[in-house]
Amino acid sequence: MIPIAAVNPVAKLGAGLIVSLFLIVTIDWVSATTALLLELSIIAFMGIEPRRFWLRTLPVWLAAPLTALTIMLYGRYGGDVYFEFLFIRISDGSVELALATFLRVLAIGLPAVVLFISIDPTDFADGLAQRLRLPDRFVLGALAAVRMVGLFLDDWRSLELARRARGVADRGRLRRVAGQGFALLVLSIRRGSKLSIAMEARGFGGDTPRTWARESRWGAAEWITLIVGLLIGVAATVVAVLTGSWTFIAR
Amino acid sequence: MPAQGADTLETRAIHQMKGTKVTTTAPSTSTSTPLRSRFQWRVIDIVVASVIGVASGLIFVVWNVASSPALAPFAALLPGLQAVGGGFWLFAGVLTALVIRKPGAAIYGEVVAASVSALIGNQWGVLTLVSGLTQGLGAEIVFAAFLYANWRVSGAVLAGAGAGLAMAITDLTIWYVGAEVSFAIVYTIAAVVGGMLIAGLLSWLATRGLAATGALNRFGAGREIAKRV
Repeated sequence: MIPIAAVNPVAKLGAGLIVSLFLIVTIDWVSATTALLLELSIIAFMGIEPRRFWLRTLPVWLAAPLTALTIMLYGRYGGDVYFEFLFIRISDGSVELALATFLRVLAIGLPAVVLFISIDPTDFADGLAQRLRLPDRFVLGALAAVRMVGLFLDDWRSLELARRARGVADRGRLRRVAGQGFALLVLSIRRGSKLSIAMEARGFGGDTPRTWARESRWGAAEWITLIVGLLIGVAATVVAVLTGSWTFIAR
Repeated sequence: MPAQGADTLETRAIHQMKGTKVTTTAPSTSTSTPLRSRFQWRVIDIVVASVIGVASGLIFVVWNVASSPALAPFAALLPGLQAVGGGFWLFAGVLTALVIRKPGAAIYGEVVAASVSALIGNQWGVLTLVSGLTQGLGAEIVFAAFLYANWRVSGAVLAGAGAGLAMAITDLTIWYVGAEVSFAIVYTIAAVVGGMLIAGLLSWLATRGLAATGALNRFGAGREIAKRV
């Protein structure tokens, strides 16, 4: 079993970006298939519960055929044309591109989503500030706001109850959601202003160098994660170039 | 002697700090220089920008699911027209910039929103951050071109257009590579129009509304409205 949950989120982010980078520059079914097979064989050993895996990756499985359909109908044409209607033109070329697109969306999307399943916001922020050296005031400010999501949900429920008590909850669902969303934004900005005063009062944003309660570790596992990402990308590219199907996107 | 010992400890601590730290402390205490303070981020700027980013990210999450069925009729009407709905993924940067009025606010707001969208889970994973970065940059460039001085409706709408253009470029290179030129042109125009109306105009109206409630009293955007009343 691969203990992917324990890997530094920055390494997961990096590995996902590396794989994507190799797959973005080409549009062909060989590189996408190679990458997809390698990715699926690794994902199989990650020990993700099947239910969780399918639930989280469901949007990718839906998006892949839809994007492919768009390309099949409106993609660049070539070879025999099978069907033509207004802007729609299905041809050998567009069918081939659609197949490549389908596999490519899966190959880019699946690892991107799977690598993000187990990321905890606090670990992510620690990694971004300590490892990538992003400005700590901004990273911790964002983390504080992310931690307020639970409060947002409570507020939303309170707003709903308040509107129901006033007897204005049953009129036009869309308008109600928009109005309630705006009220929530006002509430959260007010709360953010208060929070910033509290943070400043405790020395946040001061001039003394920051120390960290939780150290963001970087060791062999993180390097291996990055190297595996690199290897998948290189393997997909090499196989595609050798079979002569590697196609640069801006040809 | 003990006093001197404490002294050396203190000086050592100061020496351990980076040279840059010492130089940055000087201007922050003298906030009288107008240019410096106008472009400097206060703690409240950071926290409220983050809150707006996170709240926008939650709206992104809803739109991630709702966009496909909602935009299907547009795509059927004219291929590429679905990009007009992309504006609901572009407003975070423009809205944050209009409220905070600091350099980098558009990029920051859009990236925070994209991070929330990716952390909760969507079909683009890590690449959501790439989109967030480019879309934020598209709006940021426009605000920067006005030297961070145009926060009127014209600046907002143009920033929305910039974000829309950035979205079209990103989407057409990452997802719709094999598309025909006509599709790419329709997609780009639709993205720019959607960006202008939803990300630009709507964000500007939202900022005015927020200012009217008094929630932005500690920001330039809020004080401007208060003066007018």
